[in-house]
Amino acid sequence: MSADGEPSSRVAIGIAFGNSYSSIAHTTGEGKAEVIANEEGDRQIPSILAYVDGEELQGTQAKAQLVRNPKNTVAYFRDFLGQEFKSIDPSPCHQSAHPIQSGNSIAFSIRDTEAEESNNTSVSEIATRHIRVLAASAADFLGKSINSAVITVPTNFSDAQKEALSKASADAGVEVLQLISEPVAAVLAYDARTGTDPSDKTVVVADIGGTRTDIAVVASRGGIYTILATAHDYEYSGTQLDKVLVEYFAKEFLKKNKSAEDPRNNARSLAKLTLESEAVKKALSLGGSANFSVESLSSGIDFTATINRTRYELLAGKIFAAISRLVLSVVAKAGLDPLDISDVIMSGGSSHTPRLARNMQSTFSSAAVHAPATSTEALNPSELAARGAAIQASLISDFDVEDVRESCHPVVTATAHLSTALGLLCISADEKSHGVFVPLVEAETPVPVRRSKIFPVPGAGGDVIVKLCEGTSEVISKPVEKKTKPETNGDDDDSDDDDDSEEEEEEIKEKKWKHKATIAEAAIRGVKKGAKIEVQLNIGPDLAVTMVAREVGGKGGVRGVVPAS
Amino acid sequence: VLPADWTAPKDFKVVGALSKPVTREIEAVGPHFLAHARRKRYKRTFSEDERI
Repeated sequence: MSADGEPSSRVAIGIAFGNSYSSIAHTTGEGKAEVIANEEGDRQIPSILAYVDGEELQGTQAKAQLVRNPKNTVAYFRDFLGQEFKSIDPSPCHQSAHPIQSGNSIAFSIRDTEAEESNNTSVSEIATRHIRVLAASAADFLGKSINSAVITVPTNFSDAQKEALSKASADAGVEVLQLISEPVAAVLAYDARTGTDPSDKTVVVADIGGTRTDIAVVASRGGIYTILATAHDYEYSGTQLDKVLVEYFAKEFLKKNKSAEDPRNNARSLAKLTLESEAVKKALSLGGSANFSVESLSSGIDFTATINRTRYELLAGKIFAAISRLVLSVVAKAGLDPLDISDVIMSGGSSHTPRLARNMQSTFSSAAVHAPATSTEALNPSELAARGAAIQASLISDFDVEDVRESCHPVVTATAHLSTALGLLCISADEKSHGVFVPLVEAETPVPVRRSKIFPVPGAGGDVIVKLCEGTSEVISKPVEKKTKPETNGDDDDSDDDDDSEEEEEEIKEKKWKHKATIAEAAIRGVKKGAKIEVQLNIGPDLAVTMVAREVGGKGGVRGVVPAS
Repeated sequence: VLPADWTAPKDFKVVGALSKPVTREIEAVGPHFLAHARRKRYKRTFSEDERI
């Protein structure tokens, strides 16, 4: 199943196609995903096309044209694919070529030839040209031409949008093997990193991009992913963070140059201001302060200024808080508590922002937050989708397209998921009245599934009863016992995460398992003192449960079947 | 610890049934899904799949 460098006729890459940036990735001979830099050295390639005297520019070169040549520059077009004109929000295109209605679809009126007049170029043609250049960059790097790809899309992409994207890609000579959703690609990028089997976990993927923010709660059970809830927001995203800086620097400029024209009122000045603000924002993700510098910003006056990260975080605090609220609302939509979340994956360009990751860490105190600011082992948030797509591409590149299509069919993907966790009631020696529920299979696990776990035998051994139960988790909050604080050196010894919880919460929340209903009982006789019992559960597609319990190292054991109800 | 009066054929007793499952779409992504799809298409069990 692992990737092999089999020289078949198909050369597949992973493409993350975004409104703001796109990236391309491949898997190396050893099966590692790697993001490819284009000829300009960019791994995040701006999804922008610009035309100068009939010559096509893309990526960073095209982005520079937003200042001098905005009318012939097309940006933020991915979400327009397969859409009707009346259903789109053209506001991101305010500073570049505007989308116009063209029959049933959308086009841009641009001068993309040497001729003096403008052409109506359809959005799908724009996407085709973009994908062609992305594939050419990958081909230059790999030394062979690209004929297929796995492309990532948002979870709320309609079938029409998916179809339009597939067609645009096919027109560029790149056959789409599969469209996979962005959050799942991000989870896969992390899971593929370790060679081990992924554990059962519930993951929040916060994809904070340029023009949109997408949140998904994903149940990962034995490496199989199920999306439990999603939300999409077009208000709190990277360009809004840029805008915070635009406002700040514009005001600073006017303070220093009282007679100058407001740079926000002049399209060209605003374009310069916006580009430089984005660069400042990126610098503030890496360093404590950043320089803003634009030649001839407005009224022919150069402007330089400095901003530190603290000030920026203050100015953008409202947006950061709104993103945290959005994430919490999606967790609630999935019917979960923040304590049920074991991992938070920060994805998308804006996830480089240290403050956003730290906010997530305080929101989900018991989860691992995967972002550069909170984990040294985190992957680059900008690269996750492309990496996930590249891994999937290498997994399926030897399959027939027909096979892939069949595997994605609802017949295969619609699967029964356990509504309740299943586990054993372990009766401890000292607590005779009630046992402790230990989960073996988590809720939201798709069937069929097989799990086994080793439990210690309580007490002195002898004959033991093994109870198979359903259990639910509940969150119990109890007030913090006001300990007499060690007054002087307390703060120094504490790690960072303790600081967060100190501030507001007067109570500690705790996740506890509760035994709900017993499903089956089995007896294992003559167990040695201090022995361990291994229990294996096999849940079939019809939800019949086969349980095998035996003493570790012992013979025989008990086997029983709970028939499907 | 086993109560003294507990008996059952083959030492196994069914006392309940699983709660009703929820049907959801799993994502057709990743090596473990592909293994799942393979088992589903050929109607194999886990151990049959491992033997091949």
